[in-house]
Amino acid sequence: MMVLPDEYAHVSVSPVRLEIIRTMLQSIPDLIEADITRTAYSPLIYEYKDYAVGLVDAKGRSISLATHGLPLFLTNQIGLAVQDGLAIYGEDGIEPGDVIVSNHAATLGQHLNNVVMYTPVFGPSGRLAGFMSVIVHWIDIGGRYPGSSMGNDMTELAQEGLQLRSVKLYKRGEPLQELLRVIEYNSRQPEMLLGDIAAQHAGCVKGRELFSQLIKRHGEETVFAAIGSIWKKSEAAAREAVRAVPDGTYAASSFLDDDGVDLGKTIPVNIKVHKSGGDFTVDYTGIGAQMRGPFNSGFHGGGEVAARIAFKYLFSPHDPANEGSFAPVKLILPEGKFLSARANAPMGRFSTPLPTVIDTIIAAMAPVMPDRVAAGHHAAMGVHGFSGINPKTQRFFSCTDTANGGWGASQQGDGVGPYKTMLHADNKSVPVESIEALYPVRVESIAWRKDSAGPGRHRGGLGVDKSYLVLAPCNAFIGFERYACAPWGLYGGDPGKAGFVELESLSGTRRSLVKGSGIAMAAGERMHAHSASGGGFGAALEREPALVLADVCDGYISVDGARTDYGVVITDTQMIDETATGHLRAQMALQSPTIAQTEIPQKLSMEHSK
Amino acid sequence: MSIFVAVDTGGTFTDLVSFDADSGEVRCTKSLTTHHDPIEGMLNCVAKTRTQLSAAVIFKHGTTLVINTLLERSGPRIALVTTRGFRDVLDIGRGNRTETFNLFFRRDPPLVPRTLRYEIGERMSADGETLQAPDRDEVETLAAELTRQKVEGIAISFLNAYVDPRHERLVADWLRQLLPKVFITAATELTREWYEYERTSTATANAYAGPKIGRYVSRLGEKLGAEGFTGQLLLMGSNGGVLSAAQAGRAPVELVESGPVGGCIGAGIYGAALGIKNLIAFDMGGTTAKCALVRNGQFDIESTYYAGGYGKGTPIRAPVLDIVEVGAGGGSIAWVDAQNRLSIGPRSAGSLPGPVCYARGGSEPTVTDANLLLGRLNAQRFQGGEMQLDINATTQAFERLALRLGYQGETGLAELAGGILDIATVKMSEAIKRITVQRGQDPRDFALFVYGGGGPLHGVQLARELAIPMVIVPPEPGNFSAIGMLLADIRRDISRTLLRRLDDKAIEAMTRVFDELKNELATSIGADFGDIPIRFERFADLRFVGQFHTVRLPIADSISADDLMQAFRTIYRERFGHASTVAGAEVVSLHCAICASTAKPEVVRLLPRANVKQEPVTERLVFHPESGQKTKTSVYQRSALSPGFHADGPAVIEEYGSTTIVGPCDKFEIGALGEIRITVDVPDGGNIQ
Repeated sequence: MMVLPDEYAHVSVSPVRLEIIRTMLQSIPDLIEADITRTAYSPLIYEYKDYAVGLVDAKGRSISLATHGLPLFLTNQIGLAVQDGLAIYGEDGIEPGDVIVSNHAATLGQHLNNVVMYTPVFGPSGRLAGFMSVIVHWIDIGGRYPGSSMGNDMTELAQEGLQLRSVKLYKRGEPLQELLRVIEYNSRQPEMLLGDIAAQHAGCVKGRELFSQLIKRHGEETVFAAIGSIWKKSEAAAREAVRAVPDGTYAASSFLDDDGVDLGKTIPVNIKVHKSGGDFTVDYTGIGAQMRGPFNSGFHGGGEVAARIAFKYLFSPHDPANEGSFAPVKLILPEGKFLSARANAPMGRFSTPLPTVIDTIIAAMAPVMPDRVAAGHHAAMGVHGFSGINPKTQRFFSCTDTANGGWGASQQGDGVGPYKTMLHADNKSVPVESIEALYPVRVESIAWRKDSAGPGRHRGGLGVDKSYLVLAPCNAFIGFERYACAPWGLYGGDPGKAGFVELESLSGTRRSLVKGSGIAMAAGERMHAHSASGGGFGAALEREPALVLADVCDGYISVDGARTDYGVVITDTQMIDETATGHLRAQMALQSPTIAQTEIPQKLSMEHSK
Repeated sequence: MSIFVAVDTGGTFTDLVSFDADSGEVRCTKSLTTHHDPIEGMLNCVAKTRTQLSAAVIFKHGTTLVINTLLERSGPRIALVTTRGFRDVLDIGRGNRTETFNLFFRRDPPLVPRTLRYEIGERMSADGETLQAPDRDEVETLAAELTRQKVEGIAISFLNAYVDPRHERLVADWLRQLLPKVFITAATELTREWYEYERTSTATANAYAGPKIGRYVSRLGEKLGAEGFTGQLLLMGSNGGVLSAAQAGRAPVELVESGPVGGCIGAGIYGAALGIKNLIAFDMGGTTAKCALVRNGQFDIESTYYAGGYGKGTPIRAPVLDIVEVGAGGGSIAWVDAQNRLSIGPRSAGSLPGPVCYARGGSEPTVTDANLLLGRLNAQRFQGGEMQLDINATTQAFERLALRLGYQGETGLAELAGGILDIATVKMSEAIKRITVQRGQDPRDFALFVYGGGGPLHGVQLARELAIPMVIVPPEPGNFSAIGMLLADIRRDISRTLLRRLDDKAIEAMTRVFDELKNELATSIGADFGDIPIRFERFADLRFVGQFHTVRLPIADSISADDLMQAFRTIYRERFGHASTVAGAEVVSLHCAICASTAKPEVVRLLPRANVKQEPVTERLVFHPESGQKTKTSVYQRSALSPGFHADGPAVIEEYGSTTIVGPCDKFEIGALGEIRITVDVPDGGNIQ
């Protein structure tokens, strides 16, 4: 399936030269990535790292991506944007020094905040060699809610901000001030956004220089022959890993809470994987249709990226990704599903379903890859936060973070975490001291959520409880998910506890929510965010009693939890009552049903708010 | 009474350098590190060199004990005391995973188990207002519990204590009264910068290393005393300065990179003595290569260090020289990966089994083996002839590798070995790019200062790769870390977060805080060293309002907000290529360093004495990547070369513990301080980054 640049297939590259070029190709985006972290203005970039850096060839095929970029951009958003740019301008219409931006939803299939910026790199012959690109989450580009995508109930793309389809931001090295003004006056946070754009632009320009030096130094032919060889080797390795798994069709099912508009009406995520030879085909035919609410994504930005991320987790966790790495991944994805939404579908919260989709693909492979999979993880972006006017500065503020929750247990051991979702990687939460210094918010505690871990021979990672006190009137946003379908166990492990948020009024009454946008809060009210935990792996009754006791001593589970979940009886002096444990476990074993491999939890009810 | 001694205890070797100011004699030696008791290895070196400790005025020491205690988890049982609601901060961290697609990623567990993490009622707001004061009764109850738990160390870390440490200090005082035998650390005694996870982790690391380091330092003092030593014992800090034994005992986290900084200090001091303002200190050992920048004699100091690496390690907020490390050393193994690609490192043969040519059981070729195969190392004269290298074993190992990759015949072997050096060079050049290009600097503006066993062997090729025109090899490159320590001054750095929009009021606040920092430093140095001449350095971290990352600027004694704004924009633009002309700036943190001189030899007096012979001793065939083949090359003994000697390449210069290679079109001369200065033939249009 790979199409290599044929014109260079005859050029032979020595193993040494190949390794040198490979090292340098990887170092270009890595150097630029660090540069952007240091120069960006918005915390979404510098801490949360909601950006990606990459090099593509003249046809938009991925050469290298920065090591620590967000997995979300693995779908080669860069290549898609470049292909659209080439279609619009033609190769002749793209000149040295041009810088093009695009967030075109029909091309990229993700929310409009994700803006690809790229600049052409020309070889010594004057021929177009490729593009250096940086994708950055633009902090606000207008729309109905602050942050543009921070609403759960948008029903049209037009509510989500400014759309830029392959437009030049720089022409022959000169900035187009008109466009910059358009952007500036369509953003709620223009200073921060323009600062980020400057960092994004500087990264493109610096990367362009580095890439063109590399081409000059080693020669166009050698570099592209090396790239072709790198792709081929990556593809061969990926296919080999796939071949090692028995052929067959594997399936798992889960569901999403709702589409944000029809609250409580679940959305099916029925997935089949056809594994045949060196191909890994993800069949999305059984997933829900395009939604009214903003949880849609496009074919590439949604369905393809989820399949690719799951594939990486399962088959090649440690290799850098390039065009060859994903050659085995194929999709069956009819148009009009929530992962292949049509051009003007609302996509503000496009990423919300993706961790669940990835989780489900992994679960499907569990029967044949027991050592490579993990039980369900919390899988909620768990965005939560506050915006309003800061009384100290009289300026608009927006204090947002995503949830850290438990990951699923595996054959290797207990679930890990607390981390963000499988869509995230080196993305850091905002420190409490930073929140308190910058926003009218106080954090009262962050603690492990006791008794939350999905029980199992290996238990899931625990969820986290985080409590906020707001000090000024503001609006809250809540974007949790997977409440109804809590993180499942595998191989007889039990599910974890679902995540949700409680709002506490001045009188101390609490109401529970999973999603909510623009909820007015008064000074003195509280938000308690409870993230989900991971599912267990293997039957809980098989867990070593000593490990259960250790968890009780550490305060991860209660004495009651040890008894009801694990059948382990612990005495007042924190010892295992061996006899009572033996009896209880025997009794529980009789009652427990036959083990299903992937259990779908029952739907639970929950109050919802828009 | 005029001997100066420096001892660097490394992972494999303990190095000693001593200088007798009366006779001018320099003695260097190495002996194996004695891991069961490092002091033994130090005293072995003392005995080997017959150093008269009773005549020594100063004994400086670099140690890996702190980092090893943290990495090997060999510290005692300790407890952590936090603000109510925050004892899990160490587990929860920042929620990030550094291995993107690893479902099972786990960072190193906290140094304190959850059962020994206690919360007490106390709260400070972000403005420094007391929301709840600590309660003595509660602390007394806690002290009783801590006694029952038999902890040897206690870390205290409260939320927002960076703004005002009074709650932390109060609780630390109470606990010190109640538990006088326990090692107690309050986080703000170590760092006054924000971020609760990193600061708490720092306090924990300090409490964890504290008891052991305290005992070690006092035992070292006693042992040296027993040898008649009455001078000053100083420890090498990670900030590039030495500190008193007492301070080392209080704040062991300040010693976390005690070893590697020695060479950087030496590089800075030689650079200054040679009139070279900008240099890249490059140290290549057996498993890694490390590099650091020296600009105008100054090092960059990073305030967050990860013990065990960024990926999984324990964050420590302590001033550490900005050193970038890459897994390429002499022992780095050349191997073929699953995709049939030739790769170098990061796996290393280390010192055991070591490279194939050591004939200690290694079977996979290493960078050192490549050097031997290519005639760049002398099988007979390795480590002054103390060790014979087995070239046959090396050749066979290369033949096996060549077969897998399709290289044939003797030319093929040379091509493969040369290629391994090329790849190692590119990897090391990536580390140098990270410390230059990524920080807005151009490596061509620097001289490359190389040391460690492998630095001089690879320096020229590395310089050519980066288009750096000059390489400097100091005397005794194999012992250079200890030489650097011998030359290090007293230094302490402290920092404080002060978040203010840059205006005249901010300048007032800065002046006030700087004065506080200066007083604190002067008091601390006064207590350790008495009334000695001191000087201060002041820096501030600034950023554009709303931005996160900061740029560090030196701060003159009197400066206006406008001047500072100007200076900030200039440096920012220089570093990142763009700078807003409209956005305001804000101050984030202030840093103050106190420096005081220690008695030490002048660099010029460390000049090795040359033997009389001035001609090349031998010639042999050496592979030079520039010519792509083995070329007849002059081989010099370094000890035979006096200042002023100069010759054209190609050349090999051999000495104990290192070998310098000069390429065919390069020139070299011996400088006034005995250094080898190599003028590198930099091709036009080379990789200018």
